[in-house]
Amino acid sequence: MQDEPILKVEDLETYFYTRTSVVKAVGGISFELRKGETLGIVGESGSGKSVTAWSILGLVPKPGRIVGGSILYQGENLLEKSDAEMRQIRGRGICMVMQNPLTSLNPVFNVGNQIVETMRMDSNQSASTLRERAVELLAKVHIAAPQARLNSFPHQMSGGMRQRVVGAISISRSPNVLIADEPTTSLDATIQLQYLKLLKEIQAQTGAAIIFITHDFGIVARMCDRVAVMYAGKIVEQANVMDLFDNPSHPYTEGLLRSVPGLDQDVDLLPSIEGQPPNPDDLPPGCSFAPRCSYAYDKCVEYPPEYLIEPDHVARCWMRDDAN
Amino acid sequence: MMQTDGAGPTAELVRMEGVKKHYPVTMGLLLRKNRGVVKAVDDISFAIHGGQTYSLVGESGCGKTTTSRMALMVERPTEGEVYFEGKALGQFNGADKKTFRTAVQAVFQDPWGSLNPRMRVDSIIAEPLVTQRRLTKLEVKTQVNELLDVMGLHPLHASRYPHEFSGGQRQRIAIARALSTRPRLIVLDEPVSALDVSIRAQILNLLKQLQQTYFLSYLLIAHNLATVRYMSHQVGVMYLGKIVEEASPDELFTNPLHPYTKALISASLPAHPRQQGEEIVLTGEVPSPLNPPSGCSFHTRCPFAMDRCSVEAPVYQQIAPGHKVSCHLYADEPTINPA
Repeated sequence: MQDEPILKVEDLETYFYTRTSVVKAVGGISFELRKGETLGIVGESGSGKSVTAWSILGLVPKPGRIVGGSILYQGENLLEKSDAEMRQIRGRGICMVMQNPLTSLNPVFNVGNQIVETMRMDSNQSASTLRERAVELLAKVHIAAPQARLNSFPHQMSGGMRQRVVGAISISRSPNVLIADEPTTSLDATIQLQYLKLLKEIQAQTGAAIIFITHDFGIVARMCDRVAVMYAGKIVEQANVMDLFDNPSHPYTEGLLRSVPGLDQDVDLLPSIEGQPPNPDDLPPGCSFAPRCSYAYDKCVEYPPEYLIEPDHVARCWMRDDAN
Repeated sequence: MMQTDGAGPTAELVRMEGVKKHYPVTMGLLLRKNRGVVKAVDDISFAIHGGQTYSLVGESGCGKTTTSRMALMVERPTEGEVYFEGKALGQFNGADKKTFRTAVQAVFQDPWGSLNPRMRVDSIIAEPLVTQRRLTKLEVKTQVNELLDVMGLHPLHASRYPHEFSGGQRQRIAIARALSTRPRLIVLDEPVSALDVSIRAQILNLLKQLQQTYFLSYLLIAHNLATVRYMSHQVGVMYLGKIVEEASPDELFTNPLHPYTKALISASLPAHPRQQGEEIVLTGEVPSPLNPPSGCSFHTRCPFAMDRCSVEAPVYQQIAPGHKVSCHLYADEPTINPA
């Protein structure tokens, strides 16, 4: 059912040119997103996961530039699009879900205006048609009495309702791809669960594919179908969620998964990864994880290629070379 | 090495008894009118034992941080009392206060905000030492080096500034600073949630090892239940200023009783995609503490709420040894040694 990818990123390289150095924030990554699929991009701060999102949306801030690779959306290379064309694609084709659903609404406009404003971007329909459509959207995200709610201001709504409004705005132009960059980090656990469920529901209704950018394997375990693990600007492992959790094949993934304490087991000391993530403008030669890796050996001075562990499961680690 | 002469493992270090902290909400500048009170902490009691970790969990606004501020004697309770080694903080004289300030220290969430960017690491670590005790320069230097060593930092780091360090290293500096006065209790307010995932385990392990070496007690405030499970000896679940359930982590996570605890556990993210347990999705969010619901303050969100819950506040009672809960669902069960 999931044949042709809706989004195909190939060898994407996004560098930041500072006065003293070149920061290779994204150093050649490739992944595919199929229709209706949820892909998790996991990594620590500085691993390049947010820059990946900005690159897809064509919003890389200066002094950053996409220096190589391609981003194919429905078969068309986004890197060759003009600014005007990109503006059309953003929102209608690929849409960013705002980070903090509780604070991203404008407090001085009522929610009806805020939903209509988004839709006016690409439609010249009359205001009343757009307001009708806004009512439909609010009903879709289960807001009671949507007609009356159009005139409410954000402060008159509960946090849960504001989340729903933000959800309604993000699907107002029926995007095919939703990018959610750490959408729930600032939320409490019970509110986070509500929001994640809302996103799932939106996905079920619209069939949109979602890219979840997060540092939390728990969110991946709950939400995603496939995962790409990023470390120092590269994808070190990519697999189905089940395969990745059952059979982590890169020492970084393995270490991360083991270092997260579980709720159902007692451990005396957590197995931790020593050292810290490398500075992105001063990456170690070869495998960037080697200085922290307990299995590192002489081959690791060269950057490892991708090895196929099982169908649809790849890892970049020299140890897989010996296994093959 | 420094070794605090602690009491036995079961001796109580800190006890909170019926502690309340109410903040008045006023309006107007000249004619101040009272608009009510925010019951940030409303009648809580618990004890922190020597060499052990007591954790408070709950959502933002539930009163965890206010409680910790009272344990640090930064705030004084409106009602009730905090006892340190059996002595009421309200009865402290000047000398007692001075000892207390060295015996209780804190480590905060954000190591970017909690370290003075214009101070060198050695002065940051030595600051509490210098203000609390009369030491020669050489003594201070030796102690700073010793602390750096314990924290896994290099002696050369002493002359650097905070911006030269990563998050994990900064948190190590903050911990070294807290340890410098040889405290008995350290309040840890979300000590790892601002750190990268791969660094968290390092810091948690370090804190655990330090606890064993120096017989430290921790009051841990965290929202991540797995962290709490890993670190604690006893856990209190807070909701709207009250402790609604208290148990050992083993007991709490295998046999949670209060519906709020159950919801928190079900909302915590799974460690494996196959672990999708029972899901209790709470509707709405935490009500305003200015106007808390009648009866049991959780009844507005509780999936098991009965008629009684909106009228009558449940009693906080012991259900099993070491396991207390305040919920009408368990009201009819025989109580063991009502506490």
